[in-house]
Amino acid sequence: MTTTRGWLDRMIERGTRAVARRTSRRSFLTRIGTGLVGVAALPLLPVARAADEAARVPVPDDTKVTGDVGDPASCHYWRHCAIDGFLCACCGGSQTACPPGTEMSPVTWIGTCRSPGDGKDYIISYNDCCGASLCMRCRCTRTEGERPVYYTSKNNDLLWCFGTKSRAVHCSVAIVLGQATQA
Amino acid sequence: MKLALALGLALAAVDARAYTPAVEYALNCQGCHRADGAGTPESVPPLKGSVARFLGVPGGREYLAQVPGVAQAPLDDQALAAVMNWLLDHFDKEHIPAGFAPYTAEEMGRLRRTPLVDVESVRTRLLAEIERPR
Repeated sequence: MTTTRGWLDRMIERGTRAVARRTSRRSFLTRIGTGLVGVAALPLLPVARAADEAARVPVPDDTKVTGDVGDPASCHYWRHCAIDGFLCACCGGSQTACPPGTEMSPVTWIGTCRSPGDGKDYIISYNDCCGASLCMRCRCTRTEGERPVYYTSKNNDLLWCFGTKSRAVHCSVAIVLGQATQA
Repeated sequence: MKLALALGLALAAVDARAYTPAVEYALNCQGCHRADGAGTPESVPPLKGSVARFLGVPGGREYLAQVPGVAQAPLDDQALAAVMNWLLDHFDKEHIPAGFAPYTAEEMGRLRRTPLVDVESVRTRLLAEIERPR
């Protein structure tokens, strides 16, 4: 019994001392405090959400899609089949939301991509997030269905910061607008 | 060879997708004119509550088919006529004149092959005519 207690005591003592060596009470309090303030402030951040109409459409289920084609931070993500820019998912935003401090351009270029989840074609809107310098992370250029630049509305080499306060492009999102239903 | 030909035909058939007019609008027009047809102030004119007014003045019907965004859309005449008829009805039903005959593929094809050289001046003239008190 004594032996067991001695062993348990020694282990806990070692653990406690290790934690005490690595951290301080102050750092613990700082972290808790940051967490509390951060969680409270999160809804206040000026995150541009996906357009209202995009929020209403049924978005294909990506959860079963594994690998790069299911990863919004990857250039191979299925929705990125005609994107040209820096992926907002790598720049402090997501595949549907601009990073804080940038504004989503209402004018966009639009194409279709086939979802590997259900094999259906979806209408994808590539909105630029504007108001900060180029993000420079996760550069991605794909050209499925893209047209030459004289089809301005179908070309992704252009900067699409129209109707925004700033014309400086930061990164791009890929929003599902709906299923590309055939006639 | 036969197999290759059959495969080629099958691919061509897949490529010649025909989407509904609403989807074609989303793919070819909505990027600038927006999902609700509101346009973007100072950049893109609104369609909503506005576009069919052109049908009520001389030259307006032609203009709607010749304006670059329409005439140069990567759609065949049939699909283009379908999108135009759809968007007129969808965004500005109230301004469609009585007795309006929908665009046909033939008419759309004929008009879009006669480009507008000075789009702005034609537009300005038509808008002045639309706004003129009568």
